[in-house]
Amino acid sequence: MHLFLQATIAGILIGGVYALLASGQAMIFGVARTVNFAQAIFAILSAYLSYTLFGDLGIDPFLSVLILIPVMFALGYVIYAVLLRPLNKSSAELGLLVLYALAIGIQGVLDFTYQTNIRVIAPAYANYSWTVAGYQIPEVRFFAFLLAVVVLGALHLIRQYTKLGRALRATSQNPVAARLLGVDVDRISAVGMGLGVASAAAAGAAFGMVIPFNGNSQYDLLSKLLSIGVLGGMASMPGTIVAAVILGVVESVVAATISPDWSAFSFLVVLFAVLTVRPQGLFGRQLRGEL
Amino acid sequence: MRTMRSTVRRSVWAVPVCLAALAAGACSASPASSQGAGRSSSPLVVGVSMSLSGDLADLAGPAEKGYQLWADTVNAQGGLLGRKVSLKFVDDASNPTQAVTNYENLITADHVDLVFGPFSSLLTIPAASVASRYGYAFIEPSGGAPQVFALHLKNLFLAQPAPILSSADAFADYILSLPVDQRPKTAAYPTADDPFTSAIIARIQQRLQAAGIKTVYSQTYAAETVDLSPVVTRLVSDKPDLIVSGTGGADAVAEVKGMVQAHWTPKFLFFTGGPNDPTFPSQVGAGNVNGIFSSTDWIPQAKTAGNAAFIQAYIAKYGGTAAGIDAAAAEAYACGQLLQLVAQRTGKIDNATIISALHSGTWPTVEGNLTWDAYGSPQGADDVVQWVGGQLLPVYPQSAALASPIALPSWAG
Repeated sequence: MHLFLQATIAGILIGGVYALLASGQAMIFGVARTVNFAQAIFAILSAYLSYTLFGDLGIDPFLSVLILIPVMFALGYVIYAVLLRPLNKSSAELGLLVLYALAIGIQGVLDFTYQTNIRVIAPAYANYSWTVAGYQIPEVRFFAFLLAVVVLGALHLIRQYTKLGRALRATSQNPVAARLLGVDVDRISAVGMGLGVASAAAAGAAFGMVIPFNGNSQYDLLSKLLSIGVLGGMASMPGTIVAAVILGVVESVVAATISPDWSAFSFLVVLFAVLTVRPQGLFGRQLRGEL
Repeated sequence: MRTMRSTVRRSVWAVPVCLAALAAGACSASPASSQGAGRSSSPLVVGVSMSLSGDLADLAGPAEKGYQLWADTVNAQGGLLGRKVSLKFVDDASNPTQAVTNYENLITADHVDLVFGPFSSLLTIPAASVASRYGYAFIEPSGGAPQVFALHLKNLFLAQPAPILSSADAFADYILSLPVDQRPKTAAYPTADDPFTSAIIARIQQRLQAAGIKTVYSQTYAAETVDLSPVVTRLVSDKPDLIVSGTGGADAVAEVKGMVQAHWTPKFLFFTGGPNDPTFPSQVGAGNVNGIFSSTDWIPQAKTAGNAAFIQAYIAKYGGTAAGIDAAAAEAYACGQLLQLVAQRTGKIDNATIISALHSGTWPTVEGNLTWDAYGSPQGADDVVQWVGGQLLPVYPQSAALASPIALPSWAG
């Protein structure tokens, strides 16, 4: 039982980081109508930037988020404005290919700049942990989870209680109707893309402290993001959060109690079971030809 | 349809033409490969397909440096049998198909005198067959996978003391050399699902189990797994005396960090890869390396033939410190040393002589005294190394040891 609960704690903590990353993915899917195949590399890019800020300037990785979020927001905004907006007018499917090409390109630049050696952001507290009732809680994973909760909370407040949020939701639900009601859909979509990439910035900094990484780490991360998106509903932020935590817990518990070989498969079993009952995912809505 | 038929017809004609071209290529390659290189005063050109780009580029970089350093060193001494050595590097982009093309071109178009092997088993396996077809000796630095020797090529020689499969044998020897009451009673064997590491782990597990060390955990995880915290959670729960982990690098870092966070240490901790990376202390914390075991084919402190001169020349040419030299540089340098030794012992440096000479006797290099079986698999053993006092030192076998093995202390945090 102790092993089961310890693995559950580990799963919830890493699930929070995945949730942050996946919620950005969901936001981008809503406004750009395409799966962002570059979301994982945006997180890795942020992890590298945080690594540099910490290594060269001594800026704490959690504080580096304050620098990375606006930088990555701007990057997301520009990518939408320059690369995706022209495509949306013709074929949204092309956006997927463009983003995938972008992911490969960014990895190439990172591999060239940082080489392919494994990196890990290691502040002094990286190896500390608390013992609570006999269970280990690694400090850095707890703070990463906390960061995810704070950023997700901020995103929720923006979406639910601001004019920008209403415009984002309207654009996500029905861009044509939103445009008819006076929403500048192109600008709002670019802002949505920026927010989605900014969430990858926060998740990336946390990821870089929790897990050793290099450019290739994007592929494992991307496969998780896609699984989370399908389970939760591609454009549903609450759905992706729940799905991310489910993924974290299922994989962790199965890996610890049965075998690491079965952990990824076990999540797929959950995924197939849910899709059998709800093809649109846990919180997803039926899409009628948007993609 | 007409297009298809004409294509077939062209293909029919193309067969004898290609065969003729191949024969011509082979014939044109033969003179270069059979020339007694010692009789010429022109530069001795050694062709190497090297991963200058692609996934392996960073790992292959030290090998390129090792080759170049050897060429510079031997040229400063007057060359090989009076001939200056000229290395011809061509980029294979870490791609096996390109490596094959490169060796075909080096041999049949560029008519290089000799070739050295590329970086990694992945590229060595197809490239060695090309060299064999044209009768070229294939001294190679890093293709140590079982599949390399399964080719049964008599022109191939790995410039390392042991093949990859037996790289943990010395650690098993060390454990079994301990008095029975000091040996671990239980062991765990987590390993990446990788043909190298899983084969190494299966081999050592079999030996230790046969010696009565009980296996409490034996699992593989996908090689691309990034989060190893569940594996560590299980290890901490099972509390084995010994962990022998089949790792490539990042997973070793993740395991150590996980154990540090859990405030738990086994009595013995061995990783197949990771601890011998010079950046390992910065990744897991400098205070958390002491006591960790691994194995290696080369370390800077090795008392092997020409090692001190190699290190001195390396630092003079590339800067840095001895501790920062990657073993891949020594492996490539050793390839060159073997050529030098053949020239010294036989007075010739052609491919047939190299192949014939290396199949008998012992060959002292920076990688140790090398001998091979009929198919180029080295017959020695790697050294067991351990982090002791912040340094990675050989601790077993006794003949190579620079320190005594230490018990794994509590993590510094």
